[in-house]
Amino acid sequence: MTSAPSGLPDVFTDPASGQRINLLDYKARNMRLSWAMALLTAAILAALAYLLAQVTDIASTGFFVGSAVAIGGAQGLVGFFLSDKIALAAAGARKATAEDHRYLVNVTEAVAIGAGVPAPQVYVIDSPAPNAFATGRDPQRSSIAVTKGLLQLLDRQELEGVVAHEMAHIRNYDVRFMSMLVATVGAILVLRDLVMRWLYWGGVGSGSGRRRRSDRGGDGARGQGVMALLLIVLLVLAPLLATLLRLAVSRRREYLADAAAAYITRNPEGLARALEKIRDYRGPQLEVSEGVRHMFFVNPLAGQNAVDLMATHPPIQERIDRLRRM
Amino acid sequence: MATIVILVVLAALVLWGVSVYNRIIQLENRYENAWSQIDVQLKRRADLVPNLVETVKGYATHERQLFEEIARSREAMINAKGVSESAEAANMMSAALGRLFALAEAYPELKANQNFMMLQEELAGIENKIAYARQFYNDAVLQYNNAIETVPGSFFAGPMGKTQAVFLEIPEQDRAVPSVSFGGAQGQPQA
Repeated sequence: MTSAPSGLPDVFTDPASGQRINLLDYKARNMRLSWAMALLTAAILAALAYLLAQVTDIASTGFFVGSAVAIGGAQGLVGFFLSDKIALAAAGARKATAEDHRYLVNVTEAVAIGAGVPAPQVYVIDSPAPNAFATGRDPQRSSIAVTKGLLQLLDRQELEGVVAHEMAHIRNYDVRFMSMLVATVGAILVLRDLVMRWLYWGGVGSGSGRRRRSDRGGDGARGQGVMALLLIVLLVLAPLLATLLRLAVSRRREYLADAAAAYITRNPEGLARALEKIRDYRGPQLEVSEGVRHMFFVNPLAGQNAVDLMATHPPIQERIDRLRRM
Repeated sequence: MATIVILVVLAALVLWGVSVYNRIIQLENRYENAWSQIDVQLKRRADLVPNLVETVKGYATHERQLFEEIARSREAMINAKGVSESAEAANMMSAALGRLFALAEAYPELKANQNFMMLQEELAGIENKIAYARQFYNDAVLQYNNAIETVPGSFFAGPMGKTQAVFLEIPEQDRAVPSVSFGGAQGQPQA
Protein backbone atom coordinates (compact mmCIF):
# COMPACT_ATOMS: atom_id res chain seq x y z
CA MET A 1 0.00 0.00 0.00
CA THR A 2 2.93 2.34 -0.42
CA SER A 3 3.16 3.07 -4.13
CA ALA A 4 3.01 6.73 -5.16
CA PRO A 5 0.04 7.98 -7.19
CA SER A 6 0.61 7.58 -10.91
CA GLY A 7 -1.00 9.22 -13.90
CA LEU A 8 -0.51 12.80 -15.03
CA PRO A 9 2.95 13.98 -13.98
CA ASP A 10 2.99 16.82 -11.50
CA VAL A 11 5.64 18.65 -13.47
CA PHE A 12 5.16 19.60 -17.10
CA THR A 13 6.47 22.18 -19.54
CA ASP A 14 4.33 25.25 -19.96
CA PRO A 15 4.04 25.62 -23.73
CA ALA A 16 3.81 29.40 -23.52
CA SER A 17 6.98 30.12 -21.57
CA GLY A 18 8.96 26.90 -21.96
CA GLN A 19 9.41 26.65 -18.21
CA ARG A 20 9.04 23.51 -16.17
CA ILE A 21 5.89 24.07 -14.16
CA ASN A 22 4.79 22.11 -11.16
CA LEU A 23 1.08 21.56 -11.75
CA LEU A 24 0.38 22.15 -8.09
CA ASP A 25 2.05 25.55 -8.43
CA TYR A 26 0.46 26.37 -11.78
CA LYS A 27 -2.70 27.32 -10.03
CA ALA A 28 -0.86 29.54 -7.54
CA ARG A 29 1.01 31.32 -10.32
CA ASN A 30 -2.12 31.97 -12.34
CA MET A 31 -3.96 33.17 -9.27
CA ARG A 32 -1.16 35.62 -8.53
CA LEU A 33 -1.27 36.95 -12.07
CA SER A 34 -5.05 37.28 -11.98
CA TRP A 35 -4.84 39.19 -8.74
CA ALA A 36 -2.05 41.39 -10.11
CA MET A 37 -4.20 42.31 -13.11
CA ALA A 38 -7.22 42.92 -10.90
CA LEU A 39 -5.18 45.22 -8.65
CA LEU A 40 -3.91 47.01 -11.73
CA THR A 41 -7.50 47.64 -12.75
CA ALA A 42 -8.29 48.96 -9.28
CA ALA A 43 -5.18 51.13 -9.46
CA ILE A 44 -6.46 52.66 -12.70
CA LEU A 45 -9.63 53.60 -10.87
CA ALA A 46 -7.60 55.09 -8.04
CA ALA A 47 -5.40 57.04 -10.48
CA LEU A 48 -8.48 58.50 -12.11
CA ALA A 49 -9.78 59.53 -8.70
CA TYR A 50 -6.47 61.15 -7.81
CA LEU A 51 -6.24 63.11 -11.06
CA LEU A 52 -9.81 64.20 -10.68
CA ALA A 53 -9.04 65.50 -7.20
CA GLN A 54 -6.15 67.52 -8.62
CA VAL A 55 -8.21 69.02 -11.40
CA THR A 56 -11.39 69.70 -9.50
CA ASP A 57 -12.15 69.96 -5.82
CA ILE A 58 -12.68 67.23 -3.28
CA ALA A 59 -16.45 67.55 -3.29
CA SER A 60 -16.78 66.99 -7.05
CA THR A 61 -14.28 64.16 -6.94
CA GLY A 62 -16.18 62.62 -4.11
CA PHE A 63 -19.39 62.87 -6.09
CA PHE A 64 -17.99 61.35 -9.27
CA VAL A 65 -15.94 58.60 -7.72
CA GLY A 66 -18.62 57.89 -5.17
CA SER A 67 -21.27 57.49 -7.86
CA ALA A 68 -19.02 55.33 -9.99
CA VAL A 69 -18.10 53.09 -7.08
CA ALA A 70 -21.72 52.94 -5.92
CA ILE A 71 -23.00 51.94 -9.36
CA GLY A 72 -20.13 49.52 -9.92
CA GLY A 73 -20.69 48.17 -6.44
CA ALA A 74 -24.39 47.70 -7.07
CA GLN A 75 -23.53 45.84 -10.26
CA GLY A 76 -21.12 43.73 -8.27
CA LEU A 77 -23.63 42.96 -5.55
CA VAL A 78 -26.34 41.98 -7.99
CA GLY A 79 -23.80 39.84 -9.78
CA PHE A 80 -22.60 38.34 -6.54
CA PHE A 81 -25.98 37.33 -5.24
CA LEU A 82 -28.09 36.74 -8.30
CA SER A 83 -25.83 35.95 -11.22
CA ASP A 84 -26.42 32.24 -11.02
CA LYS A 85 -30.19 32.57 -11.10
CA ILE A 86 -30.02 35.16 -13.85
CA ALA A 87 -27.65 33.10 -15.95
CA LEU A 88 -29.69 29.93 -15.55
CA ALA A 89 -32.92 31.70 -16.39
CA ALA A 90 -31.35 33.49 -19.35
CA ALA A 91 -30.11 30.21 -20.76
CA GLY A 92 -33.45 28.48 -20.25
CA ALA A 93 -31.88 25.81 -18.11
CA ARG A 94 -34.00 23.14 -16.44
CA LYS A 95 -32.98 21.31 -13.35
CA ALA A 96 -31.73 17.80 -14.04
CA THR A 97 -32.89 15.12 -11.65
CA ALA A 98 -31.34 11.75 -11.04
CA GLU A 99 -34.30 10.05 -12.75
CA ASP A 100 -34.20 11.71 -16.14
CA HIS A 101 -30.47 12.46 -16.31
CA ARG A 102 -28.89 9.76 -14.19
CA TYR A 103 -25.83 9.53 -16.44
CA LEU A 104 -25.10 13.25 -16.22
CA VAL A 105 -25.74 13.41 -12.48
CA ASN A 106 -23.46 10.41 -11.89
CA VAL A 107 -20.66 11.95 -13.93
CA THR A 108 -21.02 15.26 -12.08
CA GLU A 109 -20.98 13.60 -8.67
CA ALA A 110 -17.94 11.49 -9.58
CA VAL A 111 -15.92 14.47 -10.81
CA ALA A 112 -16.97 16.48 -7.74
CA ILE A 113 -15.46 13.76 -5.56
CA GLY A 114 -12.24 13.93 -7.54
CA ALA A 115 -12.17 17.72 -7.38
CA GLY A 116 -12.87 17.80 -3.65
CA VAL A 117 -15.91 20.07 -3.90
CA PRO A 118 -19.55 19.44 -3.00
CA ALA A 119 -21.49 18.27 -6.04
CA PRO A 120 -23.10 21.27 -7.77
CA GLN A 121 -26.72 21.41 -8.90
CA VAL A 122 -27.03 20.13 -12.42
CA TYR A 123 -29.10 21.85 -15.12
CA VAL A 124 -29.82 20.96 -18.72
CA ILE A 125 -30.25 23.50 -21.54
CA ASP A 126 -32.50 22.58 -24.42
CA SER A 127 -30.20 23.41 -27.31
CA PRO A 128 -28.41 21.33 -29.94
CA ALA A 129 -25.29 23.49 -29.70
CA PRO A 130 -22.69 21.81 -27.47
CA ASN A 131 -21.79 24.07 -24.58
CA ALA A 132 -21.78 24.36 -20.80
CA PHE A 133 -21.31 26.87 -18.04
CA ALA A 134 -20.83 27.07 -14.29
CA THR A 135 -22.18 29.69 -11.93
CA GLY A 136 -22.14 30.18 -8.20
CA ARG A 137 -20.16 32.37 -5.87
CA ASP A 138 -18.69 29.53 -3.88
CA PRO A 139 -18.54 25.74 -4.10
CA GLN A 140 -21.40 25.28 -1.64
CA ARG A 141 -23.82 27.27 -3.80
CA SER A 142 -22.88 26.38 -7.31
CA SER A 143 -24.53 25.04 -10.45
CA ILE A 144 -23.46 23.56 -13.72
CA ALA A 145 -25.56 23.75 -16.86
CA VAL A 146 -24.99 21.56 -19.89
CA THR A 147 -26.74 21.60 -23.27
CA LYS A 148 -28.52 18.59 -24.70
CA GLY A 149 -26.25 18.92 -27.69
CA LEU A 150 -23.22 18.39 -25.48
CA LEU A 151 -24.70 15.27 -23.89
CA GLN A 152 -25.36 13.76 -27.30
CA LEU A 153 -22.02 14.71 -28.81
CA LEU A 154 -19.54 13.56 -26.18
CA ASP A 155 -18.67 10.22 -24.66
CA ARG A 156 -18.05 9.63 -20.97
CA GLN A 157 -14.39 10.63 -20.85
CA GLU A 158 -15.00 13.79 -22.83
CA LEU A 159 -18.01 14.77 -20.75
CA GLU A 160 -15.96 14.24 -17.59
CA GLY A 161 -13.37 16.62 -19.02
CA VAL A 162 -15.93 19.35 -19.64
CA VAL A 163 -17.59 18.88 -16.25
CA ALA A 164 -14.18 18.94 -14.57
CA HIS A 165 -13.38 22.21 -16.35
CA GLU A 166 -16.56 23.80 -15.02
CA MET A 167 -15.90 22.35 -11.58
CA ALA A 168 -12.43 23.92 -11.66
CA HIS A 169 -14.00 27.33 -12.32
CA ILE A 170 -16.17 26.85 -9.26
CA ARG A 171 -13.30 25.63 -7.12
CA ASN A 172 -11.11 28.57 -8.12
CA TYR A 173 -13.87 31.04 -7.25
CA ASP A 174 -13.67 32.26 -10.84
CA VAL A 175 -17.26 33.42 -10.94
CA ARG A 176 -16.78 35.55 -7.86
CA PHE A 177 -13.45 36.89 -9.10
CA MET A 178 -14.76 37.75 -12.56
CA SER A 179 -17.84 39.45 -11.08
CA MET A 180 -15.56 41.60 -8.98
CA LEU A 181 -13.48 42.47 -12.00
CA VAL A 182 -16.54 43.26 -14.09
CA ALA A 183 -17.78 45.56 -11.31
CA THR A 184 -14.44 47.41 -11.20
CA VAL A 185 -14.37 47.85 -14.96
CA GLY A 186 -18.00 48.96 -14.77
CA ALA A 187 -17.07 51.60 -12.20
CA ILE A 188 -14.33 52.91 -14.49
CA LEU A 189 -16.75 53.12 -17.39
CA VAL A 190 -19.33 54.97 -15.28
CA LEU A 191 -16.67 57.37 -14.03
CA ARG A 192 -15.57 58.01 -17.60
CA ASP A 193 -19.11 58.77 -18.66
CA LEU A 194 -19.79 61.09 -15.74
CA VAL A 195 -16.58 63.08 -16.12
CA MET A 196 -16.93 63.33 -19.90
CA ARG A 197 -20.39 64.71 -19.45
CA TRP A 198 -19.19 67.16 -16.85
CA LEU A 199 -16.31 68.30 -19.04
CA TYR A 200 -18.69 68.74 -21.94
CA TRP A 201 -21.10 70.85 -19.95
CA GLY A 202 -18.79 72.72 -17.62
CA GLY A 203 -15.19 72.09 -18.28
CA VAL A 204 -11.96 72.12 -16.36
CA GLY A 205 -11.05 75.30 -14.59
CA SER A 206 -14.59 76.59 -14.23
CA GLY A 207 -16.28 76.82 -10.89
CA SER A 208 -14.68 75.99 -7.61
CA GLY A 209 -11.52 74.45 -9.11
CA ARG A 210 -10.19 77.74 -10.31
CA ARG A 211 -11.22 79.59 -7.18
CA ARG A 212 -9.25 77.23 -5.02
CA ARG A 213 -6.05 77.54 -6.98
CA SER A 214 -6.27 81.17 -8.06
CA ASP A 215 -3.88 82.31 -5.35
CA ARG A 216 -1.11 80.10 -6.74
CA GLY A 217 -0.77 82.09 -9.88
CA GLY A 218 0.66 80.99 -13.22
CA ASP A 219 2.40 77.85 -12.11
CA GLY A 220 -0.70 76.48 -10.50
CA ALA A 221 -2.78 76.97 -13.61
CA ARG A 222 -0.24 75.19 -15.78
CA GLY A 223 0.05 72.29 -13.33
CA GLN A 224 -3.68 72.00 -13.37
CA GLY A 225 -3.68 72.02 -17.17
CA VAL A 226 -1.22 69.14 -17.29
CA MET A 227 -3.30 67.22 -14.83
CA ALA A 228 -6.40 67.93 -16.87
CA LEU A 229 -4.73 66.67 -20.02
CA LEU A 230 -3.52 63.59 -18.23
CA LEU A 231 -7.01 63.05 -16.92
CA ILE A 232 -8.57 63.23 -20.36
CA VAL A 233 -5.99 60.88 -21.86
CA LEU A 234 -6.49 58.43 -19.04
CA LEU A 235 -10.27 58.70 -19.30
CA VAL A 236 -10.08 57.68 -22.90
CA LEU A 237 -7.51 54.95 -22.43
CA ALA A 238 -8.47 53.55 -19.07
CA PRO A 239 -11.72 51.82 -19.98
CA LEU A 240 -10.01 50.21 -22.93
CA LEU A 241 -7.06 49.11 -20.82
CA ALA A 242 -9.30 47.84 -18.06
CA THR A 243 -11.41 45.88 -20.53
CA LEU A 244 -8.33 44.34 -22.10
CA LEU A 245 -7.09 43.35 -18.66
CA ARG A 246 -10.45 41.82 -17.84
CA LEU A 247 -10.41 39.79 -21.03
CA ALA A 248 -6.82 38.71 -20.43
CA VAL A 249 -7.77 37.52 -16.96
CA SER A 250 -10.75 35.71 -18.43
CA ARG A 251 -8.57 33.91 -20.96
CA ARG A 252 -5.92 33.03 -18.40
CA ARG A 253 -8.58 31.55 -16.17
CA GLU A 254 -9.84 29.43 -19.02
CA TYR A 255 -6.38 27.93 -19.51
CA LEU A 256 -6.12 27.38 -15.78
CA ALA A 257 -9.48 25.63 -15.70
CA ASP A 258 -8.37 23.40 -18.60
CA ALA A 259 -5.18 22.47 -16.73
CA ALA A 260 -7.10 21.82 -13.52
CA ALA A 261 -9.61 19.67 -15.40
CA ALA A 262 -6.77 17.63 -16.89
CA TYR A 263 -5.38 17.17 -13.40
CA ILE A 264 -8.69 16.23 -11.80
CA THR A 265 -9.55 13.65 -14.45
CA ARG A 266 -5.87 12.60 -14.92
CA ASN A 267 -6.86 12.61 -18.59
CA PRO A 268 -6.04 15.67 -20.73
CA GLU A 269 -6.93 13.69 -23.84
CA GLY A 270 -10.59 13.48 -22.81
CA LEU A 271 -10.95 17.25 -22.63
CA ALA A 272 -8.86 17.71 -25.78
CA ARG A 273 -11.16 15.39 -27.74
CA ALA A 274 -14.21 17.19 -26.37
CA LEU A 275 -12.80 20.51 -27.59
CA GLU A 276 -12.07 18.99 -30.99
CA LYS A 277 -15.61 17.73 -31.37
CA ILE A 278 -17.00 21.11 -30.35
CA ARG A 279 -14.61 22.91 -32.68
CA ASP A 280 -15.86 20.82 -35.59
CA TYR A 281 -19.53 21.25 -34.74
CA ARG A 282 -21.47 22.88 -37.56
CA GLY A 283 -25.04 23.01 -36.36
CA PRO A 284 -27.31 25.72 -34.93
CA GLN A 285 -25.61 28.03 -32.44
CA LEU A 286 -26.60 29.02 -28.94
CA GLU A 287 -28.38 32.34 -28.55
CA VAL A 288 -26.95 34.24 -25.59
CA SER A 289 -26.63 37.85 -24.63
CA GLU A 290 -23.27 39.61 -24.44
CA GLY A 291 -23.27 39.85 -20.69
CA VAL A 292 -23.23 36.10 -20.06
CA ARG A 293 -21.19 35.01 -23.06
CA HIS A 294 -17.92 34.87 -21.12
CA MET A 295 -19.27 32.28 -18.72
CA PHE A 296 -19.63 29.52 -21.28
CA PHE A 297 -17.24 26.66 -21.89
CA VAL A 298 -16.51 27.78 -25.44
CA ASN A 299 -17.43 31.08 -27.00
CA PRO A 300 -21.02 30.61 -28.19
CA LEU A 301 -20.33 32.70 -31.27
CA ALA A 302 -18.51 30.35 -33.59
CA GLY A 303 -15.73 32.03 -35.51
CA GLN A 304 -15.02 34.42 -32.67
CA ASN A 305 -12.40 32.10 -31.30
CA ALA A 306 -9.62 33.60 -33.35
CA VAL A 307 -6.55 35.07 -31.64
CA ASP A 308 -7.97 38.33 -30.57
CA LEU A 309 -7.30 40.66 -27.67
CA MET A 310 -11.02 41.28 -27.44
CA ALA A 311 -11.94 37.62 -27.10
CA THR A 312 -13.28 36.34 -23.79
CA HIS A 313 -12.04 32.84 -24.57
CA PRO A 314 -8.71 31.67 -25.87
CA PRO A 315 -8.85 30.07 -29.32
CA ILE A 316 -10.04 26.46 -29.21
CA GLN A 317 -7.05 25.15 -31.17
CA GLU A 318 -4.64 26.72 -28.70
CA ARG A 319 -6.50 25.09 -25.81
CA ILE A 320 -6.33 21.71 -27.55
CA ASP A 321 -2.63 22.12 -28.25
CA ARG A 322 -1.83 23.04 -24.66
CA LEU A 323 -3.70 20.01 -23.38
CA ARG A 324 -1.94 17.70 -25.81
CA ARG A 325 1.42 19.03 -24.72
CA MET A 326 0.85 18.08 -21.10
CA MET B 1 9.72 51.14 23.18
CA ALA B 2 11.87 48.04 22.94
CA THR B 3 9.35 45.97 24.87
CA ILE B 4 6.60 46.97 22.42
CA VAL B 5 8.71 45.85 19.48
CA ILE B 6 9.51 42.57 21.20
CA LEU B 7 5.84 42.01 21.99
CA VAL B 8 4.81 42.69 18.40
CA VAL B 9 7.45 40.31 17.06
CA LEU B 10 6.36 37.66 19.55
CA ALA B 11 2.71 38.10 18.59
CA ALA B 12 3.60 37.75 14.91
CA LEU B 13 5.56 34.58 15.63
CA VAL B 14 2.71 33.09 17.59
CA LEU B 15 0.21 33.87 14.82
CA TRP B 16 2.50 32.34 12.24
CA GLY B 17 2.96 29.25 14.38
CA VAL B 18 -0.78 28.92 14.82
CA SER B 19 -1.35 29.12 11.07
CA VAL B 20 1.20 26.40 10.37
CA TYR B 21 -0.31 24.18 13.09
CA ASN B 22 -3.84 24.77 11.80
CA ARG B 23 -2.87 23.98 8.24
CA ILE B 24 -1.40 20.64 9.24
CA ILE B 25 -4.54 19.77 11.17
CA GLN B 26 -6.79 20.81 8.28
CA LEU B 27 -4.85 18.73 5.76
CA GLU B 28 -4.92 15.74 8.07
CA ASN B 29 -8.68 16.03 8.48
CA ARG B 30 -9.03 16.38 4.76
CA TYR B 31 -7.29 13.13 3.95
CA GLU B 32 -9.11 11.27 6.71
CA ASN B 33 -12.39 12.58 5.34
CA ALA B 34 -11.29 11.49 1.88
CA TRP B 35 -10.91 7.95 3.18
CA SER B 36 -14.43 7.90 4.55
CA GLN B 37 -15.69 9.07 1.16
CA ILE B 38 -14.18 5.98 -0.42
CA ASP B 39 -15.89 3.95 2.24
CA VAL B 40 -19.28 5.50 1.47
CA GLN B 41 -19.03 4.53 -2.18
CA LEU B 42 -17.86 1.01 -1.34
CA LYS B 43 -20.85 0.54 0.95
CA ARG B 44 -23.23 1.81 -1.73
CA ARG B 45 -21.78 -0.69 -4.13
CA ALA B 46 -22.13 -3.49 -1.63
CA ASP B 47 -25.78 -2.49 -1.12
CA LEU B 48 -26.57 -2.84 -4.82
CA VAL B 49 -24.98 -6.24 -5.12
CA PRO B 50 -27.86 -8.45 -3.81
CA ASN B 51 -30.26 -6.93 -6.35
CA LEU B 52 -27.75 -7.49 -9.12
CA VAL B 53 -27.10 -11.08 -8.16
CA GLU B 54 -30.84 -11.84 -8.08
CA THR B 55 -31.32 -10.35 -11.54
CA VAL B 56 -28.44 -12.32 -13.01
CA LYS B 57 -29.46 -15.55 -11.29
CA GLY B 58 -32.72 -15.47 -13.23
CA TYR B 59 -30.76 -15.94 -16.47
CA ALA B 60 -27.47 -17.61 -15.57
CA THR B 61 -28.59 -20.23 -13.12
CA HIS B 62 -25.54 -22.43 -13.18
CA GLU B 63 -22.85 -19.92 -12.24
CA ARG B 64 -23.06 -20.85 -8.59
CA GLN B 65 -19.39 -20.55 -7.83
CA LEU B 66 -19.33 -16.92 -8.95
CA PHE B 67 -22.43 -16.06 -6.93
CA GLU B 68 -20.93 -17.64 -3.86
CA GLU B 69 -17.74 -15.68 -4.33
CA ILE B 70 -19.68 -12.47 -4.60
CA ALA B 71 -21.63 -13.29 -1.46
CA ARG B 72 -18.38 -14.03 0.35
CA SER B 73 -16.78 -10.76 -0.73
CA ARG B 74 -19.87 -8.92 0.47
CA GLU B 75 -19.60 -10.64 3.86
CA ALA B 76 -15.95 -9.69 4.00
CA MET B 77 -16.82 -6.06 3.27
CA ILE B 78 -19.44 -5.89 6.00
CA ASN B 79 -17.21 -7.55 8.57
CA ALA B 80 -13.98 -5.83 7.64
CA LYS B 81 -12.22 -4.05 10.44
CA GLY B 82 -9.56 -1.52 9.65
CA VAL B 83 -8.15 -0.11 6.49
CA SER B 84 -6.27 -3.08 5.04
CA GLU B 85 -9.11 -5.57 5.57
CA SER B 86 -11.51 -3.09 3.95
CA ALA B 87 -9.22 -2.59 1.00
CA GLU B 88 -8.75 -6.31 0.51
CA ALA B 89 -12.49 -7.00 0.63
CA ALA B 90 -13.13 -4.15 -1.81
CA ASN B 91 -10.61 -5.52 -4.26
CA MET B 92 -12.12 -8.97 -4.01
CA MET B 93 -15.56 -7.57 -4.78
CA SER B 94 -14.23 -5.53 -7.70
CA ALA B 95 -12.71 -8.64 -9.23
CA ALA B 96 -15.87 -10.69 -8.72
CA LEU B 97 -18.13 -7.98 -10.17
CA GLY B 98 -15.82 -7.60 -13.13
CA ARG B 99 -16.23 -11.29 -13.89
CA LEU B 100 -20.00 -11.08 -13.41
CA PHE B 101 -20.36 -8.35 -16.02
CA ALA B 102 -18.02 -10.15 -18.38
CA LEU B 103 -20.22 -13.19 -17.94
CA ALA B 104 -23.34 -11.17 -18.71
CA GLU B 105 -22.01 -10.55 -22.21
CA ALA B 106 -22.90 -14.14 -23.06
CA TYR B 107 -26.60 -13.70 -22.16
CA PRO B 108 -28.28 -11.22 -24.55
CA GLU B 109 -31.63 -11.47 -22.78
CA LEU B 110 -29.99 -10.52 -19.52
CA LYS B 111 -28.29 -7.57 -21.17
CA ALA B 112 -31.66 -6.34 -22.43
CA ASN B 113 -33.29 -6.60 -19.02
CA GLN B 114 -34.28 -3.10 -17.83
CA ASN B 115 -33.33 -3.72 -14.23
CA PHE B 116 -29.97 -5.10 -15.21
CA MET B 117 -29.22 -2.10 -17.44
CA MET B 118 -30.12 0.30 -14.65
CA LEU B 119 -27.94 -1.59 -12.17
CA GLN B 120 -25.12 -1.70 -14.67
CA GLU B 121 -25.23 2.08 -15.10
CA GLU B 122 -25.46 2.65 -11.33
CA LEU B 123 -22.54 0.35 -10.65
CA ALA B 124 -20.49 1.90 -13.43
CA GLY B 125 -21.22 5.25 -11.83
CA ILE B 126 -20.20 4.02 -8.41
CA GLU B 127 -17.00 2.42 -9.72
CA ASN B 128 -16.16 5.74 -11.31
CA LYS B 129 -16.78 7.51 -8.01
CA ILE B 130 -14.63 4.97 -6.17
CA ALA B 131 -11.81 5.63 -8.61
CA TYR B 132 -12.14 9.38 -8.14
CA ALA B 133 -12.41 9.03 -4.37
CA ARG B 134 -9.23 6.99 -4.28
CA GLN B 135 -7.51 9.55 -6.46
CA PHE B 136 -8.66 12.39 -4.25
CA TYR B 137 -7.51 10.48 -1.19
CA ASN B 138 -4.04 10.17 -2.69
CA ASP B 139 -4.04 13.86 -3.61
CA ALA B 140 -5.00 14.75 -0.03
CA VAL B 141 -2.31 12.46 1.35
CA LEU B 142 0.26 14.07 -0.94
CA GLN B 143 -0.65 17.55 0.29
CA TYR B 144 -0.54 16.43 3.91
CA ASN B 145 2.81 14.70 3.52
CA ASN B 146 4.22 17.76 1.76
CA ALA B 147 3.03 19.95 4.61
CA ILE B 148 4.66 17.89 7.33
CA GLU B 149 7.86 17.23 5.44
CA THR B 150 8.70 20.68 4.08
CA VAL B 151 10.38 23.23 6.26
CA PRO B 152 7.92 25.17 8.33
CA GLY B 153 5.71 22.14 8.92
CA SER B 154 8.54 19.74 9.63
CA PHE B 155 9.43 21.61 12.83
CA PHE B 156 5.89 21.16 14.07
CA ALA B 157 5.25 17.62 12.89
CA GLY B 158 7.49 16.00 15.48
CA PRO B 159 6.01 17.70 18.55
CA MET B 160 2.51 17.21 17.14
CA GLY B 161 3.18 13.54 16.69
CA LYS B 162 2.23 13.60 13.02
CA THR B 163 3.71 11.01 10.74
CA GLN B 164 3.55 10.43 7.03
CA ALA B 165 0.26 9.14 5.71
CA VAL B 166 0.16 6.18 3.41
CA PHE B 167 -0.88 6.25 -0.24
CA LEU B 168 -3.53 3.93 -1.54
CA GLU B 169 -2.50 1.54 -4.23
CA ILE B 170 -4.98 1.56 -7.08
CA PRO B 171 -5.85 -1.96 -8.18
CA GLU B 172 -4.91 -2.76 -11.79
CA GLN B 173 -8.41 -3.03 -13.20
CA ASP B 174 -9.37 0.42 -11.99
CA ARG B 175 -6.18 2.00 -13.30
CA ALA B 176 -6.91 1.77 -17.03
CA VAL B 177 -7.93 5.01 -18.69
CA PRO B 178 -10.91 5.35 -19.34
CA SER B 179 -11.59 5.39 -15.61
CA VAL B 180 -13.93 2.46 -15.71
CA SER B 181 -14.68 -0.20 -18.26
CA PHE B 182 -17.76 -2.17 -17.41
CA GLY B 183 -19.16 -3.68 -20.57
CA GLY B 184 -21.58 -1.61 -22.58
CA ALA B 185 -22.29 1.20 -20.14
CA GLN B 186 -19.53 3.37 -21.59
CA GLY B 187 -20.71 6.37 -23.53
CA GLN B 188 -24.39 5.51 -23.44
CA PRO B 189 -26.13 8.76 -22.53
CA GLN B 190 -29.51 8.36 -20.92
CA ALA B 191 -31.49 11.34 -22.06
